[in-house]
Amino acid sequence: MVHALESIHRLLKPSGALIDIHPVAESSPLEIHQGGTIDQVGYLSVPQWCLDSRQADDALADVARRGLFTLERSSKFDALTYYDSAAEMASSVKESIDKFARDASAIEAVPQAQALAERAGQTLRAAGVGAELVIRERTHISRLKR
Amino acid sequence: MTVRIDPDHTDARALFDTVDIRGKGVLEIGSGDGRFTWRYADRAGRVTAIEPVAKQAALAVERLPSRLRDRVELRNIALEDFASTSPSSAFDIVILSWSLC
Repeated sequence: MVHALESIHRLLKPSGALIDIHPVAESSPLEIHQGGTIDQVGYLSVPQWCLDSRQADDALADVARRGLFTLERSSKFDALTYYDSAAEMASSVKESIDKFARDASAIEAVPQAQALAERAGQTLRAAGVGAELVIRERTHISRLKR
Repeated sequence: MTVRIDPDHTDARALFDTVDIRGKGVLEIGSGDGRFTWRYADRAGRVTAIEPVAKQAALAVERLPSRLRDRVELRNIALEDFASTSPSSAFDIVILSWSLC
């Protein structure tokens, strides 16, 4: 990560800016949205993703300490992903985990995500027509000056 | 069945609140299937979007909106390889979109 940031430093013009966008190192709430109301079903937690986010924060802090970049601005926003069904959510989350897994431990999050999807599916069916399943991913965006 | 990822474009709005990209030369690292790129590229001067995963890069090529064809260059390449063949100080802005992790 630090090596990547050093490469970016070289590619940027002297007055250039690095914009980093990545999820915060926390679990993501799973919600049911219907007619303006939001009910929380649980939390989706993928340990590898949380670890990756923390490592990204550490790498940025490291290059800032070394004077390669100066943090100018930082904020957070919620990126929402909508699913029509729990099966769709389970399939999509499994696909993401499979795609980004670096080792077997990452795959261990799949059954937990599937159990959460099953519970969400029951709540979604009970909520009736028009209800949607939503994962709320808290995301960090920062601007660093070269 | 459809999955709608950030349909309100909060990601692009957060980007515009964070940096002025109008007319700027932008390098996006980890551009995936281009979903995020299309949301901001209209405002930029020129965008080079690199993605190391061939399948994702191919999807981006397939989905590149015609209005952006002259403005966005898509490349299936890892940052390390791209950096080793690119001149220094080539970009005004570099965006790491969900890719530092």
